[in-house]
Amino acid sequence: MTLMSPATRKVLKSYSGYLFVVPYLALFGLFLLFPLLYGLGLSFYKRELLSVVPAHFTGLNNYTEAMHDAYFWKSLFATLRFVAICAPLTVTLALTIAIGLSRVKGRMQTLLRAAYFAPTVLTVSVAGIVWRWFYNSEFGLFNAYLKHVGMKAPWLTNTGWALASIAIMTLWWTVGGPTVVLLAGVHNIPPQYHEAASLDGADGWLAIRHITLPLLRPVLLFVIVMNIIGSFQVFGQTFMITRGGPEMSTRSLVQYIYETAFNNYRMGYAAALSWLLFLIIAVFSAVQFRLMREK
Amino acid sequence: MSQISPSSTARSARNTSWLITAIMALGAIVFVLPIALIVITAFKPDAEIVNFRGVLPHAGTLQNFRDILGSPEEIPIAHWFGNSLLISTLVTLLVLTVDSLAAYGLARLNLPGKRWVFGLIVATLMVPGQILLVPVYLILNRLGWLDTPLALIVPAGAGAFGVFLLHQFFLNIPRDLEEAAALDGCSRLGIYFHVALPLSIPALATLGIFTFIGSWNDFLGPLVFLDSVDKYTLPVGIALFQTSYYAEYGLTLAASVLCTLPVLIAFLLFQKHIIQGIALTGLKD
Repeated sequence: MTLMSPATRKVLKSYSGYLFVVPYLALFGLFLLFPLLYGLGLSFYKRELLSVVPAHFTGLNNYTEAMHDAYFWKSLFATLRFVAICAPLTVTLALTIAIGLSRVKGRMQTLLRAAYFAPTVLTVSVAGIVWRWFYNSEFGLFNAYLKHVGMKAPWLTNTGWALASIAIMTLWWTVGGPTVVLLAGVHNIPPQYHEAASLDGADGWLAIRHITLPLLRPVLLFVIVMNIIGSFQVFGQTFMITRGGPEMSTRSLVQYIYETAFNNYRMGYAAALSWLLFLIIAVFSAVQFRLMREK
Repeated sequence: MSQISPSSTARSARNTSWLITAIMALGAIVFVLPIALIVITAFKPDAEIVNFRGVLPHAGTLQNFRDILGSPEEIPIAHWFGNSLLISTLVTLLVLTVDSLAAYGLARLNLPGKRWVFGLIVATLMVPGQILLVPVYLILNRLGWLDTPLALIVPAGAGAFGVFLLHQFFLNIPRDLEEAAALDGCSRLGIYFHVALPLSIPALATLGIFTFIGSWNDFLGPLVFLDSVDKYTLPVGIALFQTSYYAEYGLTLAASVLCTLPVLIAFLLFQKHIIQGIALTGLKD
């Protein structure tokens, strides 16, 4: 003990504080940081679990293969279509519900907020099962009602309809999250702004356009970016409801990655596809932030 | 005129307020209806589901529940329930323990280089989980954890969300409280236990419920990391079950009710914490 100078002891003590952080850092390193880099490395290898050929470095081969892979493009296209349908609808509806709810008073607001949020707590397989029943063309709920007016819709059986049908289900399932975030954002706007506006005769739409929306901008930006990132990762709904059909019109990029890795065991190629997805998401988010900041 | 105008605007404001409440309530019913339909329809015989004649059952029955609970060899749903409960509980305990320790260290202790460490952790919040799927699968394979609950429990402790959430919370603990505890001879671990944790119960509750529901509902993880039917969690078990009992909606909906009930109850009990937690993630910058 006498061997240590007070300074050394102080340094030791400050580092020993890391003992608090070490359990988490071990998990973080092994199951987040390392796999991230390991996956990147893997994407430059040919590694197929069922093949007798051992894993070997192939440079950019996996990436060039993707560029010529019609299934990759088809699943990317389906994913982009899903994002294009789902993200704007979700954000618009969330904003509408949030502003509407902010006008509802007291306990009623809490109650209604819970109702809009409730679908979010369902697991995707349960949500998928119900909506698959709703959409079923023979004995589904929607067509049972449409039958009364002599109509029948090909909700899941038509390549033009299926993805939109799943987007509607997703809207119902996921709009609660962004709604709650935006509602909290609306509540965070100091009431003086609305009071001042109302003295100037700006109520209703005018107040929403000129006060609520501009002040909500940072939260709105967050919600839009998070929603687009989330929509790019669509998997559970399409997997549960259509398995990617009809004619792969709803097979998302994540489902293609899943099948490449765990049906065909092409790990290197799946890792490369994952990184392509990551890059696409990163570029979209960066552009989004730029556009919204500049405005 | 000047006497009438204020009261008439007040009345029209009250009318619009009622109108908005009515519209919002109607929308809320539309959102809850599918959940209600799961529960109601689970009590219908298949004939009534296939031949839809109205929302309420004409001849309500418990048969679907009897069938699904009565054939544990074919449909080990009690097993799946147990697996889900075990995994979600252990994930929640793990996350609360390691995240609160790490967040406390990073927020309250004088650690050299902690800003870098925290920055690195927070940066990974942007990483989409799916890109870790293949490498984590290979790591779990190497560890021999595939097809065991460990594959779903241990990696779940790596997420950055909880550390971030608790860190922001711990930052607001007044210094005086810590100093007073230190003067009383409390060690750093003692301060964490007796000062930081008790003051953060709301944040810990939020994180705990969040983690539990997230783990309970996780679909891709168990789908990829588990193989044997009796190791499945409820969401994956039900999904698999749906493919083999494709047309038997009564059974699948009864299973869905059993899978949803625990999270729905947790949500109703803790909805304030859950919703505050969600809102918090969007408003921190």
